[in-house]
Order: sequence, then C-alpha cells, then structure tokens
Amino acid sequence: MIGKIPLGDVLVASAALFAIGLAGALLRRTAIVIFLSIELMMNAANLAILGYGAALGTVDGQIAVFFVIAIAAAEASVGLAIFVALFRHTETIDVNKINLLKW
Amino acid sequence: MERVVFDAAAAIAVVFAALMVLNRNPVKSVLALVVSFFFLAVAYVLLFAPFIAAIQVIVYAGAILVLFLFVLMLLNIRQEGVEKDPRPIQRILAGAAVLLFTIFLVTLLARHGAPPGLPATASETGAPHIADVARAVYSDFLLPFEALSVLLLAALVGAFVLVAKERGAKA
Repeated sequence: MIGKIPLGDVLVASAALFAIGLAGALLRRTAIVIFLSIELMMNAANLAILGYGAALGTVDGQIAVFFVIAIAAAEASVGLAIFVALFRHTETIDVNKINLLKW
Repeated sequence: MERVVFDAAAAIAVVFAALMVLNRNPVKSVLALVVSFFFLAVAYVLLFAPFIAAIQVIVYAGAILVLFLFVLMLLNIRQEGVEKDPRPIQRILAGAAVLLFTIFLVTLLARHGAPPGLPATASETGAPHIADVARAVYSDFLLPFEALSVLLLAALVGAFVLVAKERGAKA
C-alpha cells in the first residue's frame, strides 16, 4: 500500500509536474504544445488525487481520475479539431500570430 | 522498495515533462510526454490503481497523444520560431507567474507535507480492488458514467463539424 510510499513524495512529484505544465502553458507559443502542457497539469492533479485515494484506502480517487481521463479524451478531440480549423484560416498555430479578436 | 521505485518513476516522469516543455520541435515534445505518461502509469500501479495505470497507457499515451501526433503531422508544424517576441512584457510576466506559483507550492509542501487528519499510511487490506472500482462505476456513479458516453458522442460530432469542409467549398 502507500504504507511504503509517503504521501509527501506523491505530492512533491505532483507539484513538480504541475509547475512544469504551468511553465509550458504560459511560456510556449505553439498552441499544440500549450495544449500538451495542460494535459500534463491534468496528470499532475490525477497523481495527487490517486495519492490521497490510496492513503484513504477508498475507491473514489480512482473513479474521479477515470472520469478526468475520459473528459480529457473528449476535450483533446474537440481542441485539436479547433486547431485544424484555425490552421486552415490563418496558416499558423503560433498563438502570438492569432490576434484577430485583439482591438 | 516501493518507495525507491515510485521515486525513480516520478523523477523520470518529471525529467521527461521538462524535456517536453524545453524542446522546440513539437513532435519531440509529444514523444517526451508519452514517455512521461508511461512512467506516471508505473507510479499509478504503486498507488494501487492498476486500472487507472492501464487506461493511462491505452487512452492517454495510446490514443490522446497519438491524436496530437496525427494533427502535428497533418498540419506539418515546424520548429517553434526563435524570432523576437513582439510582446516581451508578456513573457516576463508569465515567467514571474510561474516562479511565484512554484514558490507557493514549495512553501505549501514544506509547511504541511502530508496534511493533518489524514493517515500517511493505510493498511494493506484497505487497498481498493479493481472489482470495487467497477462496482462503484456501475452503481453509485452510473448516471455520470452514462452522461460521459453522451459527452464523448458530442465530442465526436463536434470534432467532425469543426473539421469538415463547408458544403460546396473548394477542396
């Protein structure tokens, strides 16, 4: 069980992954890489949820992560379709060059 | 022993996540994230979630990230340009935000570690079995589960509508 793995280790790993994901989402300019970073942040949250679920010995954490992964799949398909549609209009997915709504 | 394996898997996952952010070639970014997710699956097994580990590999690394790769190759995205950023203030603010958030997380973990009121360890018998996951999904969480199937259908239709060429438009 998590008896051998301290919850602190899980939380540190989760925090590191989340911080890396945040850095990627804020600093990168390719829309797809920003999207990848968001997926990474979701996985960091999943890791923390599973850590707590294991520490509490309940099944609820695993259920929550199951739903998160399924919704991530739906979100990824729609998000990538938006990028494809966007690329057809603007020939780029550099977020600095997509500024049609800017006043 | 479990702790050593968990820490090693988590460390490798973190390293490859960093490689994902640092790489200028988006295809290499996706592949680095695939490796990172595989090692996260190892961590999930050690947290007594073998089912989640399996869907992490099959759905996340196998389906979602391959979808990313397909789109990258379909659009033929090259390296991210190294040209001068038109708005450097944005990048400085973004870097500051990341730094602040990291400091916030570090202090939070240093102060609290494992939060009070939670057992840092649970007994071996307390580990949920995969059958318990199935039982919960098909009983207590049946309505969200069915709603999920509708959501996935909506996402499927939405992706088609977004990408399909308009009727009568030239190819």
